[in-house]
Amino acid sequence: MGLEIVNDVRTDYVCDLVKNGKREDGRGFREYRDISVERDVIKRAEGSARVKIGDTDVLVGVKVELGTPFPDTPDKGVIITNAELVPLASPEFESGPPNENSIQLARVVDRGIRGSEAIDLDKLCIEEGEKVWMVFIDIHVLDDNGNLADAAALGAIASLLNLRIPNERYGLTGENTLPMRDTPVAVTTVEIEGNILVDPSFDEGNAAASSVTVISNADGTLSGMQKSGSGGLKEAQIAEMVEIGIEKAGEIRGKYL
Amino acid sequence: MKEEIELIKDGKRLDGRGFDELRPIKIEVGVLKRADGSCYLELGDNKVIAAVYGPREMHPRHAQDAKMAVVKFRYNMAPFSTDDRKRPGPDRRSVEISKVCREAFNPVIMRELYPKTGIEVYVELLQSDAGTRTAGINAASIALADAGIPMKDLVSSVAVGKIDGEMVLDLNAVEDNNGEADMPIAMIARTNTITALQMDGRLTKEEFERGLKLAVGACHQIYELQRTALVTRYNQNYESKSKREEE
Amino acid sequence: MYQVVVPGDFLSEETKRAGEGTYVEEGKVYASQYGIVNVRGEIKVVALSGKYMPSNGDVVIGRITEISFPFWIVNLASPYEARLHVSALSGIAREKIEFGNMSEYLDVDDLVVVKVMDVNMLMKIELVLQEDVELRRGGRLIEIAHTKVPRVIGRSGSMIKMLKEKCNCFIFIAKNGRIWIRGKEDDMDLATTVILKIARESHTSGLTDRVAEFLDSFRKEKERELRG
Repeated sequence: MGLEIVNDVRTDYVCDLVKNGKREDGRGFREYRDISVERDVIKRAEGSARVKIGDTDVLVGVKVELGTPFPDTPDKGVIITNAELVPLASPEFESGPPNENSIQLARVVDRGIRGSEAIDLDKLCIEEGEKVWMVFIDIHVLDDNGNLADAAALGAIASLLNLRIPNERYGLTGENTLPMRDTPVAVTTVEIEGNILVDPSFDEGNAAASSVTVISNADGTLSGMQKSGSGGLKEAQIAEMVEIGIEKAGEIRGKYL
Repeated sequence: MKEEIELIKDGKRLDGRGFDELRPIKIEVGVLKRADGSCYLELGDNKVIAAVYGPREMHPRHAQDAKMAVVKFRYNMAPFSTDDRKRPGPDRRSVEISKVCREAFNPVIMRELYPKTGIEVYVELLQSDAGTRTAGINAASIALADAGIPMKDLVSSVAVGKIDGEMVLDLNAVEDNNGEADMPIAMIARTNTITALQMDGRLTKEEFERGLKLAVGACHQIYELQRTALVTRYNQNYESKSKREEE
Repeated sequence: MYQVVVPGDFLSEETKRAGEGTYVEEGKVYASQYGIVNVRGEIKVVALSGKYMPSNGDVVIGRITEISFPFWIVNLASPYEARLHVSALSGIAREKIEFGNMSEYLDVDDLVVVKVMDVNMLMKIELVLQEDVELRRGGRLIEIAHTKVPRVIGRSGSMIKMLKEKCNCFIFIAKNGRIWIRGKEDDMDLATTVILKIARESHTSGLTDRVAEFLDSFRKEKERELRG
């Protein structure tokens, strides 16, 4: 109950600011918080990255293991993306099985990578129908201060770009690197009081009626999109969000990937 | 190796549809007796049934909202609804779809009229052929109206996708499995307000924009079908009855 | 013919006349309910279904669901449960009603006619007993959508008057869609049939006339049967 009232007050405050063309941390509507990407932070993982967007802190680790392909794609490797919103990251996260927010986060990141065909799944096949590489992308949220989607997606592609294939562990020989064919980048915008803001902070995320994550590739094509939140959007607003998404993804790709 | 399937021949799709053509839609209102509202809907080979319960007392109590009704939405595929048996119960896909569908209705349901209650929407896919969530949203919209839930509008939903390089409306399973992109949307037709949007696959910005236009247009068509189904339900009852009485 | 509307249908630009089952947006009145439009006086949409919302002064039929001293918890066919305090019965009780003997007066599943006294912000609902209606001596309860109650009553009570006369039953209609009937089995069967018919056809016009015809033809049939 106490928390609810505080949230309401924060929401009003955020909305009032936006009406006056301002944001709580003084950013412009189309400005990201500071981003940092630190690679290969986990020794045991075949790829990893820690991404910070402002105070939001997300660690992505990628494990690569040998496994059997799915029966309907015997000649293709497997990507499995998972996200955990561990209780350490927010007073609102609870331990237990993945809830709809963590599932959505994982699936949006997964969609972006799959849609872009950044990983050539054919190259992950070792023996058709028998042996393929399985790429497990695990998103571990450490500090939720808004816009987990962009941080998680950036962490995932950054980890994949430095991925080492553990041939030796399985007595195999072959290329230890996996060339990436594309670099999908997620950009989340929210709608508050008719304005479109990029990279929502925690309070902005709560105050927003709608949020749209747009994932785009190096050539400006789109490889994933997801609206969430209880509001509605006009076609023109979505077009603007896509526009911003492609533009900002280009900037992030240029600087951090 | 999967065989490449040609999805478009002579400007027509495999099932004979044009690019901007919906599959046939059949709607029946009020098909369940116990539910407060219900709807059976077919979209091509999709067969879906939606039921609404409530507003009713919300359990557990801590899940209540003191200011408004809480909407629960459960999208579920029957084990026999797919080629390979689907393991019963919620999986990650259905959890995500349930969330997206619930949010698609949040802008229209007048939740503030029923504080502390729950409004429960159950969508069961009995037979699936791609576009299941859009069929589910369309059916749920009618079931909510049938349950007497106050709403600002109906919600209409459709998917658009890319096959053989073309943007086409309402993909069926063959097209979805072999296509390049799929983008389901939900919207309020009267105000052209989009309440759900997802996209997977790969599209250029221009294709996306064209696809969105196509989907928006189709939602208007679907809205008309939904509205007609609701309105004629009562008119038909009346007409058939008065005819019987004349005989 | 009544006009059926769905949520979001445009109704009028006269926002001052916007009534129940409607909402106003940008200077226009729209339907918020699936129902029948009524433009006499206020612009209203009478829903075809939906849950009863308790309102001060409503006389309703409740069912006891729980005894939780000093209250009986009462179901009103509404999303909210209501409470009836023991003092409500103090006037008719032979002794002091206490924790142990509450069920002797009203037990779980008993029906009561109650009046809604207060509905607070937290949707806590207080009731008082309406002593003038006795439900415990033989009879039958029918439930219909509360939105259809006005049709069963009819304009200035015309429908219910006819029902009572022609079905030869005691009929009590509560605001929450619960209807109590008492009479001979045959008469109750007839009344039930007719009330459910009214609920089913509540959206049609000329209903009173059709019900009258139905009742007349039923009586004639009966008489013919009796004559053999």
